[in-house]
Amino acid sequence: MTRRERNWLLVAPAGAWFLVMLVLPLSFVFVFSFGERGPAGGYVPAFTLEQYANLPARWTAFKNTMVLAPLGTLAALLIAYPLAYQLAVRTDPRWKTLLLVLVIVPFWTSILIRSYAWIFILGGQGIPALLAALGIEDVRLIYTPFAVTVGIVYGYLPLMVFPIYVALDRLDKRLLEASSDLGARPFATFWQVTLPLSVPGVATGCMLVFILLMGEFLIPALLGGGKVFFVGNALVDLFLQSRNWAFGSAVAFTLILIMLVTVAIYMRLIARLQVRRDDVAIM
Amino acid sequence: MRFYALSVYLFLYTPIAIIALFSFNAGRHASQFQGFSTQWYGRALKNPFVMDALETSLLVALVSATLASVLGTLAAVGLQGIRGPARAVFDGIIYVAVMIPGIVIGIATLIALVTVFDVLNPWLATLWPAAGQPPSLSMGIGSLIAAHTMFTMALVIIIVRARLGSLEQALTEASADLYATPFGTFRQVTLPLIAPAILAGFLLSFTFSFDDFIIAFFVAGSETTLPIYVFSSIRRGVTPEINAIGTMVMVASLLLLIVAQLVLRRGQRR
Amino acid sequence: MADNGYISKKQFIEELRRYQKGSVTRRHFLGVTGLGAATAVLGAAMPALRPSSAFAQGIGDRVVLATWPNYHDTANFDAFTDATGAFVQVNVFGSNEEMLAKLQAGGSGWDVFVPTNYTITTYVAEDLIEPLDVSKLSNYDAGAFDPRFADAGTVDGTLYAVPKNWGTTGFAVNTSHDGGKALTTWKDFFDRTMDDFSGRTMVHDYQLTTIGNALKYFGYSFNSVDPKELADAEKLLIEAKPHLFAISSDYQPAMRSGDAWLTMCWTGDGKQMNSDIPEIHYVLGREGGEIWSDYYAIPKGAPHREAAYALINHMLDPQVNAREVLAHGYPVADSRTNALLPPEILNDPILYPAQELLDALEFGAAATLTDPNRAELLARFKSA
Repeated sequence: MTRRERNWLLVAPAGAWFLVMLVLPLSFVFVFSFGERGPAGGYVPAFTLEQYANLPARWTAFKNTMVLAPLGTLAALLIAYPLAYQLAVRTDPRWKTLLLVLVIVPFWTSILIRSYAWIFILGGQGIPALLAALGIEDVRLIYTPFAVTVGIVYGYLPLMVFPIYVALDRLDKRLLEASSDLGARPFATFWQVTLPLSVPGVATGCMLVFILLMGEFLIPALLGGGKVFFVGNALVDLFLQSRNWAFGSAVAFTLILIMLVTVAIYMRLIARLQVRRDDVAIM
Repeated sequence: MRFYALSVYLFLYTPIAIIALFSFNAGRHASQFQGFSTQWYGRALKNPFVMDALETSLLVALVSATLASVLGTLAAVGLQGIRGPARAVFDGIIYVAVMIPGIVIGIATLIALVTVFDVLNPWLATLWPAAGQPPSLSMGIGSLIAAHTMFTMALVIIIVRARLGSLEQALTEASADLYATPFGTFRQVTLPLIAPAILAGFLLSFTFSFDDFIIAFFVAGSETTLPIYVFSSIRRGVTPEINAIGTMVMVASLLLLIVAQLVLRRGQRR
Repeated sequence: MADNGYISKKQFIEELRRYQKGSVTRRHFLGVTGLGAATAVLGAAMPALRPSSAFAQGIGDRVVLATWPNYHDTANFDAFTDATGAFVQVNVFGSNEEMLAKLQAGGSGWDVFVPTNYTITTYVAEDLIEPLDVSKLSNYDAGAFDPRFADAGTVDGTLYAVPKNWGTTGFAVNTSHDGGKALTTWKDFFDRTMDDFSGRTMVHDYQLTTIGNALKYFGYSFNSVDPKELADAEKLLIEAKPHLFAISSDYQPAMRSGDAWLTMCWTGDGKQMNSDIPEIHYVLGREGGEIWSDYYAIPKGAPHREAAYALINHMLDPQVNAREVLAHGYPVADSRTNALLPPEILNDPILYPAQELLDALEFGAAATLTDPNRAELLARFKSA
């Protein structure tokens, strides 16, 4: 057996798996997106662009996703960065691991159950009741875009903290000392040394959270009260309520395209940002 | 700064505390605390649907994480020596696999398998000897494991490949110079060096599969995993039983983590 | 408790606790503990203590039921488990469309499901429903049922489904917030949603009722599939959407917690909420709306068929059925069950609305289930 054959043999099982469980299903989505809905739902073979022409009917879902996904990513970043910084740079090494683990532990309770806890906290008997006791009446939190954003930040915070922490932790502390020895003020040190060096972690975290948010279904479903609608919710509806497989396939395929394009642009931008840092991989 | 960190931990743990608190609720409503009781833990542990769902989730997570780790590692090693357009296509597939939202994977797998099974089943039935029930393909634990393996395998390949990339080429060359067989080199040099990456990939795959709701929602057929059970329970009004399940899963994972940490430390001391 | 040997002291205390916590209604409590008017009848035969014949046949250890929210007395499932050894898994759905979608995708794993009258012909046409073997349902007595609420179970002379409950679709309103001006029509429902009930109203996540009731606002048929009439309904719904609290078929928690004040509502939910919180009233829109009947049926390929028959048969037992009614507050079409119910239930205006209100109601039409425009309209409304 030649070396070449051996390599192919090693790759073959994974390749076959991807072929059957990824390439084949995605081809079905592509083909179905040109079909028609059956009389009682489902799919009837056809060749029509009707499904794509009907996409504007889901414009709001696409708009919500494309606004709230970057916004949620940004919110998670803003909350996660100071924490990761505190953990990586300012914390006694003896406590580091424990504190980091504490960030991840909530992740091990089903996101379903955690979101349900938020329904209680944001619902009438939770924070609004507390506010009412303070004299601030009639605050509505649950089933609003705000509630969905809170749920998003809560659900994905650990995914953002972790890569930023790793990037900051790897940073050579002597660099920071050198910077202050040279008379740089703390803010200048942060701005000119720490922040640029943590870019890879930020890039990874943002991409992880963004990808997951683009396909989000549960958090808007539980905390949005059926009113804050993501593409994910539109898809679940199309397949599990109106049984319109053809239109659902068109929506799904459009979502894939949008994601691939967005992520490709994003990776190109990040690559340009760190053009001289070839030691950093984004994924 | 310290105050900031503290308030983030408060944000992270308030819902967890509420979940744990209400798991000890004597009443059945999730919004009013009506006295302390551990009855819901007993109920959850006695409920065969909860236990079945847990068993299904563990089985699916274990099998798909194992498959993903083995096949993913093999592929990562094999890909090292492959160049050219074939490599580009494979890289593209891995990129697509991790990029596509779970919901799309779920839907795509559902419509593909349902359609393929509809074609295959009558065909199987005609091939089958007259006696006995012909086999009938349907969505279930097999399709769920296959879908989870597909996604997590892509993760394993990425993680292991990053580790392989950082290995010193000199090590494997030295091994080959010493007349080790390629397999010997792999077993004695490469494998120990990439073992931490494989372990990380396995754990990540296990966690992903155990916690996945959205793919399972579409492809699990009649099987119920723990997240699916929780979802359908939430819809009929949460009882503290769900809180008890969540608390138990979290405590179990914490204990596992502590044990793993202790074992690792002991290993290091030796 | 001397006069009632059928409920132990411990069970009684448990029931009392449940009642105090508000998880069961007063009637349920009285019924189960045998303290109320229903003592004599219901206490005489706690089915839990009567081993069922099904047990001997070995029906397996489980049965999966797909049903609607707040639609059963869990004590009856516990009794079934005690008698047969089979646990009941309850899956709750928000609409008939969702049930149909799950069955169409195959491998639902259900043994029993609860379709509504207008969907059964579609299930038969799509070959998703099993004809029932009456010999396995000893508690089914066709003559005992009011044909109005039983007919839809028979398609082309074959029995596919047996009646569970019937009821109406109206709305529930928390009258402490109506400012003294009662809501009586679907016009009120939508107009007030956009006025003093803004941010406090819920509508179903269900095409039939949400679109149907919006159609009634204009005086159109509840079942209309006319494009122009549907366009009017869509315009109204989208206009009202910013004023909604949520779109969900599980509205009890929000109504009880006070987050929501007004919701589209089914008979039993109205009854349950009214029993616990008297200021929540159940109203039928004067213009009309839906009257419906639900059925027990077995889907094709049910994994535990024997257990499915045993469960349906158990639920058809008039004693069990009567306890169901006391718990969920939906009327039944079974005269044997009604004979066991206390008069205050049989005269309850929520369960049995005035004739002139009933006359205006329509049964759902099969066409609405499969009409692509209605399905798409609801999806557009939700994603708007």
